[in-house]
Amino acid sequence: MRFLAWSNSTALALLAGVAALIVLLYLLRPLPRRLIVSSSLLWEQVLRSRKRRPERWRWWLSLLLALGIGSCVVLALSRPEVATISGAAEELVVVLDDSATMATRTVYGTTRFEEARKRAREAIERGGLGSRFMVADTLRQIATPSFQPREAALSTLGRLRVSSAGVPVFPDVARPLDARANLQVWFVTDGIAGITPPPGVKTLSAYHPADNVGIGAFDVRPVPGDPARYQAFVEVLNASAGAKRVELRISGAGARPAARTLQLGGRARALETLDVSAFDGGVLRASVEAQSDAFDLDNAAYALLPMKRVVRVALVTRGSTALEQSLRLVPRVQVTVVAPERFSSGRGFDAAVFDRVAPKTQPTVPALLVRPSWAQWLPAEAGETGELPVERWDASHPLLRSLSLRDLVVERAAAIKPGAAGAEAGGFIQTIASGPRDEPLLLAASAGARWLQLAFNLEDSNFPQLPSFPVFLSNAIDWMTGEPPALDRPLGRVRLPAAGARVTDLAGARVAVTSVPGATLFDAPEPGVYTAVTSDQRLRVVVNALDPRLTLVNASPLADAPPAPSPARARLLRTDPWVLLLIAAVALLCLEWLTFHRRVTV
Amino acid sequence: MKGHPSPIGPFPNITTVLSESFLSQLDTLALVQRQRAHGQLKGMHRSRRVGAGMVLADFRPYAEGDDIRNIDWGIYLRMDRLMLRLFEEEADIPIYLLLDASQSMDHGNPGKLEYAKKLAAALAYLGLLNHDRVNVAAVTDTVREVLPTRRGKNQAPQVFRFLDGVQAAGRTSLQGALRRYFAAPRTRGLLILISDFLDREGLDESFAILRRFRHDVMLLQVMSPQERDPQLPEEVVLVDAEDGTAHELEITPALLAAYRETFERHAQGIEAYARKYGWGYARVQTEVPLEDLVLRGLREEGLLR
Repeated sequence: MRFLAWSNSTALALLAGVAALIVLLYLLRPLPRRLIVSSSLLWEQVLRSRKRRPERWRWWLSLLLALGIGSCVVLALSRPEVATISGAAEELVVVLDDSATMATRTVYGTTRFEEARKRAREAIERGGLGSRFMVADTLRQIATPSFQPREAALSTLGRLRVSSAGVPVFPDVARPLDARANLQVWFVTDGIAGITPPPGVKTLSAYHPADNVGIGAFDVRPVPGDPARYQAFVEVLNASAGAKRVELRISGAGARPAARTLQLGGRARALETLDVSAFDGGVLRASVEAQSDAFDLDNAAYALLPMKRVVRVALVTRGSTALEQSLRLVPRVQVTVVAPERFSSGRGFDAAVFDRVAPKTQPTVPALLVRPSWAQWLPAEAGETGELPVERWDASHPLLRSLSLRDLVVERAAAIKPGAAGAEAGGFIQTIASGPRDEPLLLAASAGARWLQLAFNLEDSNFPQLPSFPVFLSNAIDWMTGEPPALDRPLGRVRLPAAGARVTDLAGARVAVTSVPGATLFDAPEPGVYTAVTSDQRLRVVVNALDPRLTLVNASPLADAPPAPSPARARLLRTDPWVLLLIAAVALLCLEWLTFHRRVTV
Repeated sequence: MKGHPSPIGPFPNITTVLSESFLSQLDTLALVQRQRAHGQLKGMHRSRRVGAGMVLADFRPYAEGDDIRNIDWGIYLRMDRLMLRLFEEEADIPIYLLLDASQSMDHGNPGKLEYAKKLAAALAYLGLLNHDRVNVAAVTDTVREVLPTRRGKNQAPQVFRFLDGVQAAGRTSLQGALRRYFAAPRTRGLLILISDFLDREGLDESFAILRRFRHDVMLLQVMSPQERDPQLPEEVVLVDAEDGTAHELEITPALLAAYRETFERHAQGIEAYARKYGWGYARVQTEVPLEDLVLRGLREEGLLR
């Protein structure tokens, strides 16, 4: 037994002090009153007739009752801990798996996570008085787990929710505590996330078999040979043990949804291709429906259909085979070669590519200028540079998406001064790539109609021979036509490469964001399409849960868990000794009152 | 008598002992004498002697010298013989009023001795009214004070003064007191013993002495409410008023019940003894007004008529 309110020695000293005080008070009772009576003759007869019973026992009884009351009160105040009554004090770490599959509904009408939380709550309720509890989770919703009293731990437990953000891992809670003898670590999981707890950790199963049909993959691509047409590729998984009839549906703007009924066997998958050319550009939503589906997160997936299927590009050149052929390789680009003297304003085109020429005024359409002749609206040039490699480039810029300029070598380039740009460009010219001494090699201006400028002639570099050149042209066309490629992100915390972005969801509602230097963070708990707007760009973010590990909600090595018991039952089993002591004190007080008024102890 | 100086000297105002109204009520009462009077003087009690009286006792032939006023002339006419009517002679009785004046009588509220003195005064007054010879003595373990025989109502102030002067002192020994009192020859009469009968030497020998002298005995046991039903603290040292004996007691309901039972048994023992030998007995409870005791209580007990 130990005491929670004070140290053992303090409690025992207090107990002894109270007992001594009670005994002292009993010994210090007042002297009996002297009373003169006419005769003590009859009293003597009474005393003779009554056997001299040891009346002292009354005193002892009263003293014992008083000692009992005092001891019970002192012990109650000391908050004793008795293992046989209140359970042994221990330190229990409960780690809850709060990964996405824990949201799977069970046959009991609850989710796996709720069952897991019941088990954790039961473990905490069963803990003895004085026990301390640490609640942690695999997704670090609880950033700094610490040992807490029971009620605080239950409160922490109640705040936990299933999350689809991040990669679940076993938290680093047990390692520094291994030396503690009375430490227990419990891990409640459904086993889907494949987390392997450290040795000595007791794993409690929260796994219950469930039916689930979900989308494993979803992508929209143009039809090869016909960039104006688009196809959707959908992978549908059936994680259930039995066959399922699945309704697959793709919906978007401008056309009736495309639907297909699938018959999937148990633990089977289907790869479906659907023509989505009929839809207008924008958001496409793929969804599956099946009976008794227990997991919702993978039932929908999103993709973006390009708004402009064909981009009309005017190639203003006196002749550049490499440029023309590379442009023709870019999907959905329709190239028209125009002589420089015949190019006027760019009407009838979506973009223009100027090869070694430049219009006197900025064209009304976006333009890519390859070593243009100087014009008033372009940055000033200060001669020419010699051979120089590309030393620095902004890989995060959409222009350089999926390519590298490491092998690019430029023999000769114009020495451009970005600060001396024309009035229209102002300060919106950005150097995307530069030489060893910051010589601009690739400039981008986003004010008004966008334009790009390569500081070197293609023939003065090895760029046309590099595989990244067509990719660069494709990125340039995409960037210039104002439809930057959407970002694909998994569920959870999304990091945008733009600071101070304002993010809205599909319904136009603002999403809470966290701004950090150079980036914007926001949480995407469900699949969807988000729009991020900064001062100079507009990004579309497609968030999907396209992960077969999520869909396969029955791929658990754990056994089927029994239903979790009610926490109330565990609570009934535990009784605080101080409550019992107070009850005993009250009972003794009643007994003392009874014996006093029945004149047993007086 | 109120306001008149006594011819034999100063005596207390009678109202300090008994009120005048109470004394006037006593005029109609008399002490009950169970035995024939043995007094030598003319009194109001029937005696074994024949002589002048009002109650016809017998007849005898007339002899010369007899009082011719007692000849029954009716018998003479019918039988032609002179027969003399004999009458029971009415004599006085000696009343011995013994008042326990030991220290034990000086307790209670009202005080036992004060109450006993008033009772004794009332009974003495009744005796004086009936022309009995009243002997009053204050006894403890001996005969402490004695008032010589008094007879006649005019002697009441002296009796009252004597009683008024009795103070509690000494210890109780009725045996010793009675031996001493009856050491002198006493005509058989009515002995009234007023006491609390709390005698360490016991009562048997004392009562045997009374039986030996064949007096008509009246025992009046004085008791205070504090004696009958004591209210005591839980822990108390009881000190005997007469000998100073101390007893430390833890008072419990059981002990109090046992005491009350013992007290009752003590009183019942005295009463039973008195009834057995034809003595009068009455409990004198000091909380009862004296007038009620005398005018109603003692009459109901048959001690007064």
